[in-house]
Amino acid sequence: MKILVSLKRVADPDNANKIKVTPQKIETTGLEFKPNPFDEYAVETALRLTENAANTKQRLGEVTVVTFGPKEAESTLRAALATGADKAIRVDATDDALDGDLVARALAKLIETEKPDLVLLGKQEVEGDANQVAQLLAEYLGWPQATFAGSIKSEGDTALLVGREIDGGTMNLRVTLPAVVSVDLRIVAPRSVQSVHTKADHAYPEGVRFAALMAIMAAKKKSLTEVKLTDLTGDVGLKIKYTGFEPPPARKAGVKVKSVSELVEKLKTEAKVL
Amino acid sequence: MWRRAGATSVAVAHWLSQLESALPAGVLSTDPADLAEYGRDWTRVFTPNPTAIALPRTTAEVSTLLAIAQELAIPVVPSGGRTGLAGGAVARERELVISLSRMRAMGPVDALGGTVRVEAGAVTLAVHQHCEPHGLVWPVDFASKGSSQVGGNIATNAGGVRVIRYGLTRNWVLGLEVVVPGGAVLEIGGALEKNNTGIDLRQLFIGSEGTLGIITGATLKLAKLPQAPRVMLFAVADLAGVLALFREARSAPFSLGAYEFFTRQCMARLLSHRALRDPFSTPASHYVLVEVEGGADETALLEWVESVFERGLAQDGVMAQHAREAASLWELREGISESLSATGLPHKNDIALPVAGLEAFCAEMEEVFAARYPGWEIALFGHIGDGNLHVNVMKPETMTREEFFTRTHELDTHMFALVQRHRGSISAEHGIGLLKRDFLGFTRAPAEIAMMRAIKAAIDPKAIMNPGKIWEA
Repeated sequence: MKILVSLKRVADPDNANKIKVTPQKIETTGLEFKPNPFDEYAVETALRLTENAANTKQRLGEVTVVTFGPKEAESTLRAALATGADKAIRVDATDDALDGDLVARALAKLIETEKPDLVLLGKQEVEGDANQVAQLLAEYLGWPQATFAGSIKSEGDTALLVGREIDGGTMNLRVTLPAVVSVDLRIVAPRSVQSVHTKADHAYPEGVRFAALMAIMAAKKKSLTEVKLTDLTGDVGLKIKYTGFEPPPARKAGVKVKSVSELVEKLKTEAKVL
Repeated sequence: MWRRAGATSVAVAHWLSQLESALPAGVLSTDPADLAEYGRDWTRVFTPNPTAIALPRTTAEVSTLLAIAQELAIPVVPSGGRTGLAGGAVARERELVISLSRMRAMGPVDALGGTVRVEAGAVTLAVHQHCEPHGLVWPVDFASKGSSQVGGNIATNAGGVRVIRYGLTRNWVLGLEVVVPGGAVLEIGGALEKNNTGIDLRQLFIGSEGTLGIITGATLKLAKLPQAPRVMLFAVADLAGVLALFREARSAPFSLGAYEFFTRQCMARLLSHRALRDPFSTPASHYVLVEVEGGADETALLEWVESVFERGLAQDGVMAQHAREAASLWELREGISESLSATGLPHKNDIALPVAGLEAFCAEMEEVFAARYPGWEIALFGHIGDGNLHVNVMKPETMTREEFFTRTHELDTHMFALVQRHRGSISAEHGIGLLKRDFLGFTRAPAEIAMMRAIKAAIDPKAIMNPGKIWEA
């Protein structure tokens, strides 16, 4: 199976006290970045689908990782290559010149040439929380989609059984390939992904895998190509316009109460939650 | 000796009334929950039994406390974050515990001089967070940094995971404010890097385990905050492999920030206690955490790694790709101590050996265990980089606590004789406290101990400071 995974780097939440916001922009120089967690889960899902867990060194299929970002974002791709992905593509762009729709249109074009059987994405990135690209992409491609996947069972190269996280339970969908699937948190639970190569009772460790040191060496030699955004789409206009930036309001300092009755009183009169 | 018999309740009542009348309300507590909590540290071997807990807010209040304590011969246990592992902060014989917890103010960071003045109760992690915005760090760092306090760190000359790079706490203290028995307040040193003006009293208090006085404040020396390091975890076949890899890492084209190891037993207990991820698909015998200082040449680092594997010096290895992953690799190492205590009863030993002699020592130690304690689970970990081994013997399921403690006491005699023969120390960074005092003679000569006791007598003539710690009162 050929899988294409779209991933994005986001500012590490541990940067909290380093972020500078002006009315025009969020200053990103000097920030630490990490992969968007849901995208990391998508990469892990792709790896689990294309391997026999008994021998993770051999890839049974092909995993391509794609990101939209500046040159520095290549380290995010290298990290994905080090965990087992086969090749990487960076679409040269900066965040302020992108929105979900443009990314989806450019991805659709890229997918025409890459011809994957499956496109995997995180359900949303944790900065904008827009949750749009997977849905828009499926529409532009005319492919079936399954969003918020909490489990995936591969039925070979023709179909997937996807357990979607929905309010109050799970919705099971059988999607024929090629398809677009966005993944949710529980996809990295020990038995959430079943590939046709791995024994059915295999339990993975919870979460995403570390990069093996030997694979980090090998990743240096894997293909990482750069594509210009304008080569994918002539229309680089945005549907989302940013009108201003401001930091979240500072939290007010708490107060200490002397007794339970004073606490209850304050919850009633000040917090108004009782 | 009053201590043997325990103070009479009449005496205790007198102490309390004198203390209460001299101090503002709220300083003294005899709440049973406080007595139980403040009377113990992370050793769970001793039953706490203090008379009262004093929680002073100012140095003047500490001075008042030690004036009265001296006058009435009240035994005093100084108390910080109580994360010690040698019983140094245990109060079990009706002592007065003086906790510095309320004295945690931190002064402004002097970024130019690289110093900060803090009160003794400041929590280590809070000091780190206080200095970080200035690009500086107090490089005293260990697993219990979220609870341990500056005063306790200094009084125990704490070690930890950065010793290989920065040395012990002793190196990072410029000045001290100390209250001595009788209530005198000494301001020793200051914010000076250079101060060659006679015997350095500051060094006497550092590592004295609360037996000379109470540290109430300190001027700390700060280091430049290092760039984000690279963190790797290796799987190796045995202890010889841990040492062979260390030799390679020492001569590698980068600076080591840490070189820590632990065994499969530690990993197994860690994974059963906490929701952590084993980075490897198959269990290994020994694990090595290597931290390389930030700014290292990436290509040179990876070439080194490649050569390590080519020569079969490691079986497997992973590298953190971002700060979160680095933190989760560190959690594996830092979670061990807690996991051992949570999943069983460990008997802890913290020994140091000359790095060159580690291998020979460990081989002989294994023989001792195999011959005398077959089947006992040994959880071994430590800071190989500075010759420090944490030897944790786990209580067998079927054995009673009492029998276990008897057997481990006897085991220690064998092990410490071995340590002595290899010119090591019976307590590398935990101190002597109550737990190791019977064995002090394995590391320190009689003439040294006599000199230490003479110094103690000069500063604390009535022997009120932490009696029974380091040596018997």
